Amino acid sequence: MNDNLVEAKSLSISYGAKRAVDDVSFNIPKGRVVGLLGHNGAGKSTLMRAMVGLAQGTGGLTVLGLDPCKDRVQLLQNACYIPDVAILPRWARVEELISMMSGLNPNFSAERARQLLKRTSVGLRDKVKTLSKGMMVQAHLALTAAIDARLMILDEPTLGLDVLSRKAFYEMLIDEWCDGERSVLISTHQVEEIESLLSDVLMLNEGKLVLSISLEDMDRRFVALSHDSAVADAMSAAHPLLRYRTGPGPAGNAAIFDGAPPEHVMALGQRVRPNLVDLFVALTRKPELDRTQF
Amino acid sequence: MNNLIPLMRREWLQHRFVWAMLLLVPLGLAVMLLSFGQIEMGEAMAERPPEDVAAVMGSMTIVITAAICFLLVWITSVFMTSGLARRDHGDRSVEFWLSLPTGHAESYAAPLLVHLLLAPAVALVVGLAGGYALSLLVVSRFLSLADWLSLPWGHIVAATLAVAARVVAGLPLATLWLSPLILLAVLCNALFKRWGLPVLVVGLGLGGVVLKYVFGQPLLSQALARLGSEAATALVGASQTAPTGDRPSALGTLKALPGWAAHDFGEALSAAASPAMLGAVAVAAALFAALVYWRRQGAGMTG
Repeated sequence: MNDNLVEAKSLSISYGAKRAVDDVSFNIPKGRVVGLLGHNGAGKSTLMRAMVGLAQGTGGLTVLGLDPCKDRVQLLQNACYIPDVAILPRWARVEELISMMSGLNPNFSAERARQLLKRTSVGLRDKVKTLSKGMMVQAHLALTAAIDARLMILDEPTLGLDVLSRKAFYEMLIDEWCDGERSVLISTHQVEEIESLLSDVLMLNEGKLVLSISLEDMDRRFVALSHDSAVADAMSAAHPLLRYRTGPGPAGNAAIFDGAPPEHVMALGQRVRPNLVDLFVALTRKPELDRTQF
Repeated sequence: MNNLIPLMRREWLQHRFVWAMLLLVPLGLAVMLLSFGQIEMGEAMAERPPEDVAAVMGSMTIVITAAICFLLVWITSVFMTSGLARRDHGDRSVEFWLSLPTGHAESYAAPLLVHLLLAPAVALVVGLAGGYALSLLVVSRFLSLADWLSLPWGHIVAATLAVAARVVAGLPLATLWLSPLILLAVLCNALFKRWGLPVLVVGLGLGGVVLKYVFGQPLLSQALARLGSEAATALVGASQTAPTGDRPSALGTLKALPGWAAHDFGEALSAAASPAMLGAVAVAAALFAALVYWRRQGAGMTG
């Protein structure tokens, strides 16, 4: 049996002449927490919208074994989605939204939504227009997490949330929502906050998928060497993906290599775990911006 | 289409205050004016027998109140419907609605059903009930409470219910006649945002004039006039005859109204069984499909 919840094959999506997603292929198996990283305009939101049938492209895309455009309604009963502009209708009360979602989605649990909302400062009788941006996001996250879905697609879900609320949401997501069968695809610019939660990462750069890898494989494949500035030239000569600063002082330098560098280069530094942010910068930086020059 | 009921409930939750105000404000104003204002009877009424005057006053109060409530809600609903495609853009909740498992067609069908059929029909019923209450005020102030109590209630209720049923039954037909214009307005608003209605009015007006006076072809203006008149007669007056009964008295008219209403609806149905109606429905279906396509393309979010 196919364990992939999402399968994309040579998927391309264009807006007029602009190609937002360019020939992308990847799979998301069940039980994974996948980070979707990319610069602004890299195509993350477009890719996520395509996964829930809100953007059409060429190539192949199946989500939960369904065609997102043709079977959008059926798909959204089993896949919940928070768009990047997560704004609830201002005229509604929170309890009315719960009641409406109960009617619209058979997999939505009103009881679960109320439980999750109890952990926040949002009241059931509150009108959305009286909520702060952070409270509105909390309400939206609670409503979405109350759907008994197999796939959760979150596009910048914690935008506007304070650090405590973000932490609480991610803890709930991993401890309560993820059960080994469900998968989450999450896009955020706060990469450091979610790095420890991720099992896989997809990196988009100007619509192209530059990396699709599990975190375990990432650790094996990419080598980061912490080194002294005195050996910087030798490191540069080995053509790392990126050289960057890790801290103050002459010892605060590092270089990332795709694959193990030669032994004599390895001897010049100390192997450290490659940081997702630095790897992201290494793989998506623009060639015209030479960030190897400190 | 299991989502139709929850989506229709959304309309109730979102617009119940507006509808309540549309009904309660005129009714409240009527109560105030009738309680404290001056009521004068015309000469024609003064010449009638007192029981006839009471019957005319009572039944006219009911009919006028119901008509005002119905028209207020219907016209407001048609206007509100024209902004249907972009209504969730104002508070930017369009993304939330698109993330729910509802089909594009049913997301349009439910509000259209509620605004164009259900809300006006309910407004008519509320207006009818308000009319009965107001008739007490009118008749008892002008005549007496005893006159109101001794009204021919059997005939009045039968007649007003028959006319109300006639209007409610004609409402879907009127909506079908007007559907090309209504859906064109929705599509124009979808495509041109706030310029949608001006574009529609100028386009149709200018198009009609140019076709008529430059090309000698009055097709567009004739079609628009036909849609309007057919919609009006679909609601009431399709038979072009007055429900006077055998005697031109209030009681005679009341007795004749149920039969007249049934006949009038039959005439409206006959008028609907025409190529013009088929054309209107075909155009409306095409416009509805265009709206669904627009929503499916995600234009709602980016536009």
